[in-house]
Amino acid sequence: MTDALFRIRGLCVDVPGRRLIHGIDLDLPGRQMVALIGHNGSSKSTLLKVLARQIAHSAGSVAFAGRAITDYSARDYARRLAFMPQTTPPAEGMTVRELVALGRYPWHGALGRFGPDDHAAVDGAMAECGVVAFADQLVDTLSGGERQRCWLAMMVAQQAGTLLLDEPISALDIAHQVEVLSLVRRMCHDQGRTAIVVLHEVNMAARFCDHVVAMKAGRLALQGSPDELMRPEALEHVYGLPMQVLLRGDGGRVAVPA
Amino acid sequence: MTRRAIFTLPVVAVLALCLWLLAAFRLLPGDWPAWPFDPGTMSVPQILLAFGLMPRGAIALVAGAALGLSGALLQAVLRNPVADPTTLGISGGAQLALVAATILSPGLLEHGRWPVALVGAGLAAGLVMAIGARRAFAPVTMVIAGMMVAMTASAIATAITLSRGKYLLSLVIWNGGSLVQQDWSGVRVLAAVLGCAGIGAALLARPLRVLSLGAVGAQGLGMNVAAMRLAAVVVAVVLAAAVSAELGLIGFVGLAAPALARSMGARTMAQVLALSPMIGALVLSVCDGMVMALAGATGEMFPTGALTGLIGGPLLIWLLPRLRGSTPPGTEAGEGPGVRLAHPGRVLAGLAALALAAALVLVWVGRLPGGWAVLDWDSFRAFLPLRLPRLVAAGAAGAALALAGAVLQRLTANPLASPEVLGVSGGASMGYAATLYLVTAPGQAVLGLGTMLGGMAALVLVANYARRRDMPAERVLLAGVAVSAMAAALLSAIMATGSAQSWQVLAWLSGSSSTIGAAQAGTLAAMALGVLVAALLVRRWLQVLPLGAEVAAGVGLPLVGARLGLIALAGIATGAATVLIGPLSFVGLMAPHLARRIGLARAQDHVLGAALIGAILMIAADFGARMAGFPYELPLGLFASLLGAPWLIWLMMRMRR
Repeated sequence: MTDALFRIRGLCVDVPGRRLIHGIDLDLPGRQMVALIGHNGSSKSTLLKVLARQIAHSAGSVAFAGRAITDYSARDYARRLAFMPQTTPPAEGMTVRELVALGRYPWHGALGRFGPDDHAAVDGAMAECGVVAFADQLVDTLSGGERQRCWLAMMVAQQAGTLLLDEPISALDIAHQVEVLSLVRRMCHDQGRTAIVVLHEVNMAARFCDHVVAMKAGRLALQGSPDELMRPEALEHVYGLPMQVLLRGDGGRVAVPA
Repeated sequence: MTRRAIFTLPVVAVLALCLWLLAAFRLLPGDWPAWPFDPGTMSVPQILLAFGLMPRGAIALVAGAALGLSGALLQAVLRNPVADPTTLGISGGAQLALVAATILSPGLLEHGRWPVALVGAGLAAGLVMAIGARRAFAPVTMVIAGMMVAMTASAIATAITLSRGKYLLSLVIWNGGSLVQQDWSGVRVLAAVLGCAGIGAALLARPLRVLSLGAVGAQGLGMNVAAMRLAAVVVAVVLAAAVSAELGLIGFVGLAAPALARSMGARTMAQVLALSPMIGALVLSVCDGMVMALAGATGEMFPTGALTGLIGGPLLIWLLPRLRGSTPPGTEAGEGPGVRLAHPGRVLAGLAALALAAALVLVWVGRLPGGWAVLDWDSFRAFLPLRLPRLVAAGAAGAALALAGAVLQRLTANPLASPEVLGVSGGASMGYAATLYLVTAPGQAVLGLGTMLGGMAALVLVANYARRRDMPAERVLLAGVAVSAMAAALLSAIMATGSAQSWQVLAWLSGSSSTIGAAQAGTLAAMALGVLVAALLVRRWLQVLPLGAEVAAGVGLPLVGARLGLIALAGIATGAATVLIGPLSFVGLMAPHLARRIGLARAQDHVLGAALIGAILMIAADFGARMAGFPYELPLGLFASLLGAPWLIWLMMRMRR
């Protein structure tokens, strides 16, 4: 991979008394949907937060689009990269349109005018994520799946080329899981965005993502295409559990515990 | 019992014993009376020892244990590390009952202060629980309701005292929490209460541990959550009411003991419930020992309750970074979704019109010795220059405080945040008091400067916490509460000295606009306007920040700078207003809350609405303060809380989820 979007070298993350990430070297490709998988406590979310600059790393370097991530100003970084936390906070008294409009902050800043470009971006984002129908409803009155799409719309309104999502489907039913992941996949493939998604469900990761990075106890377990992941020995290596891979009629693979 | 507690507690116990012995030997070097005590055969120093110092040492232990247990129960049941007996309004209720009985019907006190104070405390706690019961005792609701009740009660109590044109020094000392004893009756009563409550707490330990999973989790395990919360609160209320009745307000022991217990490694509910009373007893004993050591043989210099606050404040600030994670206030939906107006502009215009109309009408109407009077045109023109400056000043101060509150509530995403809670007012009042003592006959400008410096110092301390990116908002609040409590303790210590300065502090504490001049009013109005413009300019920060640090950083908000800037803004507004109306007004808590409750949701509407409501509240309070106790003038800040708090309580009672 020559055009790595993220170039990570010797990355370590420490919290008082413990090392969460032990010297990772990793290149993440751009214009693809990348899954970050691993068992609980494997530090996959920590890695994502480092990429989002939500937590600082203690050693090593991370470069984004050729520049160290610490070199970007806050708004500059937010114009290129949008982050969705694992638990989206309650948006007390806020309408969907207002929430989506918050995504324009990196562009207009604290004092800039909310101009035609901003309106167009908000409308476009709401249309893309299918939340136009709720535009004037309160975010907190929507269902989980609808709310998740609103937060996605806010990220889209940010017009960032890279989306980081921390377990975006963990609270959704299976239909909404497919809906949200299909939406993210469409964004990557149709608009040339990059999405890095922390996922728990290995089958969802294999089905929707182009590239999979597996973490294990703060170290890199493996990375490659979904086909490389969906092998019994690879899965056992990642999850420490014997796994079986079933072949579906259409050639897709499904992993189940053996 | 944790290992650290096993090492620490005996050392502290020895220290407490030494301090008590120091006082005892100073009183009577030898020849201690033998058990059983018979006053007939004893000398005066022996009687003083047997019926003064000995019960005093005992009551410090018993009362401290009671407060520690009460605080531990309340913190467990409210799942809120800032909860303590005073947050339920118990002390406020007791104080109001006692003041009312003393002034209006002294005969009620015939059987001691106990029954009267207990009735007041029980009524206040009952009111808070009636509000809480409508929401299945959701923690945030309980704390807000408790603070409102406490504030209203203390405002009414002070208003009653001042409207009679006399100050009751003994009540001031009682407020400070004096441990002086005349016999063993207090110890016996408190020990009996503590014993019963201890059994109750032991029975509650396991249900409370289940409750620490959260209301939904506990319900899933088959627990009657509302009944269990009620039981725990009742035990805690009885304990705190008993201490309030015997000794007055002794702050911080109930707050510090469970926090200290946790920092010593108490992890399970049983450990916290067992350790907290022990720690509380030792904390109060050491404090009382220090008061006695300082006072020497001559007598009381200041009440012990004041010292617990002085020690407790810094202790809590020191503890903050070491405190383990806890349920942040507000995670449990306390108030349900707020309403949202479709046309906020109309409501804002209406509020602005109301503010103007209120100002006009209130200048026009006055009270004469014979009755009420509406001024004719000539008197109106004569009175206008006299009344306008104070109206402008009151309105501007109200708006400034409300702005500070709105900014802080949005910054911390916590409906409890306000300049009063964040310690800015407390720091300002310490600055005022320090100026009084350090400068001979200070003028208004010097006092104003000192007040602002004090507020700034408190801000720097609190901002130090806010600056750290991973510091959750509730810790910042806790730091502010610590500063406020320290200030309150210092001020009650000053007031208990009864010196000339102390009366000036008391007068300023309650706030008055009677001495304000046109220039000062103009300055204050300009400052309020400046703060409003600044808050509207950063409305986008205020819109994003309630969503939390992750989202705010995610959209590229300069988090550190924004927090520091907003805190400085709130500090300037509070400092300016506090010089005029004193630290006691709760306009900064009420006005933003009311603005949100009537449906002003967007940041700019919320900020503007809060400022208008704050101005209306203070203008109305100014009128009420002039009229209600005529010809005496009541304190402005007190009157503001008299107006706003009942309204807020009514709103909370009315709303359902």
